[in-house]
Amino acid sequence: MSYEKLFENNISSESVKAWKASGKKAIGYVCCHVPTEILIAADIMPVRLRATNCVDSSDAEAWMSSFSCSFARSILQYLMNGTYELDGLVQSDGCMMATRILDNWEHISKKNGKEQFVYQVGAPRITNDTTIAYYKSELQDLADKLGAFSGTKVTDDALKAAIAKTNEIRDLIDQVYDLRREAKVSGTEALNITLAHCDYTVDEYIALLKEFLADAKNRKPIEARARLMIIGSALDNPEYIKVIEEKGGLVVADALCFGAKAFGDKIAVDDADVMGSIAKYYLTRNTCPRSLDNRPAIHKEIVDACKKFDVQGVIYEKMQNCECWGGEAYYLEPDLKAEGIPMLQLEREEHMANAGQLAIRAEAFIEMLDK
Amino acid sequence: MAKAPTQNFDPTKPVNMIELTCDQVDSIYQHMLTKGMPEIMWTVDIQKFTWEEIRDAQKNGKKLIAFGGPVPVTIMRAFDCVPFFLDTIPTRIASMEDLCGRYIDETEKYAPTSMCAIDKAQLGCALKGEFGIKIDAFVHATVPCDSARIAYPMMERLFDCPCFTFDCPFRHDDKGYAYVADQIEAFIPFMEELTGLKWDADRYAKFVEISEESNKAYSILMQLADLRKKDPCVLPGRMLVLNEIIAPLAGTPEVTAMLQTQLEMGNMLADMGMTATKCPEQRYRVCLMQNMLWSNTGIMDWMEKCYGAITVMDGFGYQDGVLFEDMNNWEKMKLQLAKSMLLVPMIHGATGPTEYWLKVIDKMYDEYKVNVSIFMGHVGCKHTWASGKIVTDMIQEKYGIPTLYVDVDAIDPRYKSNDELRAQIGEYMESVVGAENFCK
Ligand code: SF4
Ligand code: SF4
Repeated sequence: MSYEKLFENNISSESVKAWKASGKKAIGYVCCHVPTEILIAADIMPVRLRATNCVDSSDAEAWMSSFSCSFARSILQYLMNGTYELDGLVQSDGCMMATRILDNWEHISKKNGKEQFVYQVGAPRITNDTTIAYYKSELQDLADKLGAFSGTKVTDDALKAAIAKTNEIRDLIDQVYDLRREAKVSGTEALNITLAHCDYTVDEYIALLKEFLADAKNRKPIEARARLMIIGSALDNPEYIKVIEEKGGLVVADALCFGAKAFGDKIAVDDADVMGSIAKYYLTRNTCPRSLDNRPAIHKEIVDACKKFDVQGVIYEKMQNCECWGGEAYYLEPDLKAEGIPMLQLEREEHMANAGQLAIRAEAFIEMLDK
Repeated sequence: MAKAPTQNFDPTKPVNMIELTCDQVDSIYQHMLTKGMPEIMWTVDIQKFTWEEIRDAQKNGKKLIAFGGPVPVTIMRAFDCVPFFLDTIPTRIASMEDLCGRYIDETEKYAPTSMCAIDKAQLGCALKGEFGIKIDAFVHATVPCDSARIAYPMMERLFDCPCFTFDCPFRHDDKGYAYVADQIEAFIPFMEELTGLKWDADRYAKFVEISEESNKAYSILMQLADLRKKDPCVLPGRMLVLNEIIAPLAGTPEVTAMLQTQLEMGNMLADMGMTATKCPEQRYRVCLMQNMLWSNTGIMDWMEKCYGAITVMDGFGYQDGVLFEDMNNWEKMKLQLAKSMLLVPMIHGATGPTEYWLKVIDKMYDEYKVNVSIFMGHVGCKHTWASGKIVTDMIQEKYGIPTLYVDVDAIDPRYKSNDELRAQIGEYMESVVGAENFCK
């Protein structure tokens, strides 16, 4: 296997096809609050849906309107046009736009006589004992339903085995991020690598990462005019970062839900309460501002990452109509300023129609940092 | 209802929002007194009560609790507090372009323009520090939407006061009700600490008394909803807007009295074969599927007058009220309160799966004999837009009614002019519905 696969920008269905050909199920999911460990334990291939390179989402727009976020709309488009041929969709209510992907897909697939497993996990938006208990029961319901669907009951042992694998991935991604810190992996490459997680089985992905890491350790650091961090709405297009890096910036860190935030620290398992451990982990992790009580913590994590990765400037990209990642500037910007780190705010759409504009803004920002 | 006077503040100076609103409501009140309009005084009385209760909370020895989303207001009142529903700010100032714009523009410096103007207006007021009152506590929920989820955490920090958050489940089922009930239990110590009062037998008795009053108000509201089913519809579309005031006022005799007067008036008119609408004759029964157009409530009067088209119900204001039973059973009360929180307007249809909204709309079309369907879609409410086709397809398939889609900003009057909106609705009414225009 060649790790070059990690850098294929387009969505690859090769692995899903092979998996399904062996008689097993593959299910799509949206948002980081669907624990993949549960799908893996049910012997189902989790496929994180993305919208990379979707240039026309007009069919989905008819369902979701032009007021929807184009990332969410483009995912629906990919479900509708067969880019994704899966057995179902599991989602958490990450944001309302993501939620409506599921509602519309459930409706459209039913209308088209396409049998789908469709399930929505309720993920609380504050973290305390009551909410973790509720989330755990939601996850248990999901596990029961997935087990019945796949014919493989989700057991504690299967969950622990799945956690061992996803923890191994977390470990390997950590090593990739260490290389980013050493400027041996560019931001464009890093996003390609983390996006590949969406398309491959855990075992394939682990193998690809190991091969890549073995090679990449010997690289020389990349010369750059400014070290940057990128934060904001779901970004599943490495070309976006490429435009910035072509102007001399090196994106060494991120707080993206397709980047670092999709992995995070390892899950600590309490043998007496395996599902509870998963619930606690996923609800305590500060993935994005979908929750109401984690904003100061998210801001602190961003500032800490800036320090850890020697970041000189932060790019905050916001998808149009994305409220989830819309309101962080008010408190975050002064926090960053206190550390002498400027922030550039950019609006974008899923389809990168304004690359020229991005290049101009990025260049000016890098220029300012380079002085 | 008389129209509020246009803006009367100096934009170069800080505004005291509450004082300004109280003054405006009072001037409408005085104007109506002098003009001798007793038959509609009750529509202003309730507004006067609402705003003065907020302004004078501390003067009257009460804590003022700002709130957003569904929260148990009857418990707050049982603890002798005044609940201040922050959404009443945007809905109140929506017709005042300058004041509304002042706050919306302030928020847009830090948050996306696509954010709901309901949240933008209240957050802008907080960012400018122009409430003009001290907020003793902030209680909010994690719903209705992503916009609110930008605004509430920011306001928590801006208000810098004790805060409590209710996490509302995505699904409104028994598990969800029990989940909210557990949080209501946790809310009690918060209220005890805030007020220094105990949740003892006396307090519980007060809570029961307030809940009984709330039951009265909601049962009248249900009777009013039934009255709107009459053909022709007796009550104008405007009343749907006014009745939303029940959210912060449930449990007060004032809101019960207002609703009672409205009901008596409606019944009387029905008995006399008359209506309070502006229709020369009712030709169409309209359902507005989404929000109320607070920035231009006059549009409903215009539809009545020019097309005989009465807004019989709206998707925002539709009340599936819960009447409390067995009030001395706290365990049961918590569950009922939880249920009532999840069934309030905007939460009942907008926050969970599309299926919920579909049910609300289906019920309205069925029970209110709707024959004109308008998706007057508030641009901020992107998640209801994203469910729009599922719902309007159902209306077409089940009721054979095509739906007009119009994009509006329910709060920001600058989004679309009255002329533009009238042209869009008029064109639909005349060319698709085939309506005669009485105003031509
Ligand atoms: S980009 Fe924003 S609005 Fe779109 S799905 Fe992600 S969080 Fe939701
Ligand atoms: S109108 Fe819609 S977008 Fe605005 S606060 Fe209500 S649910 Fe949210």
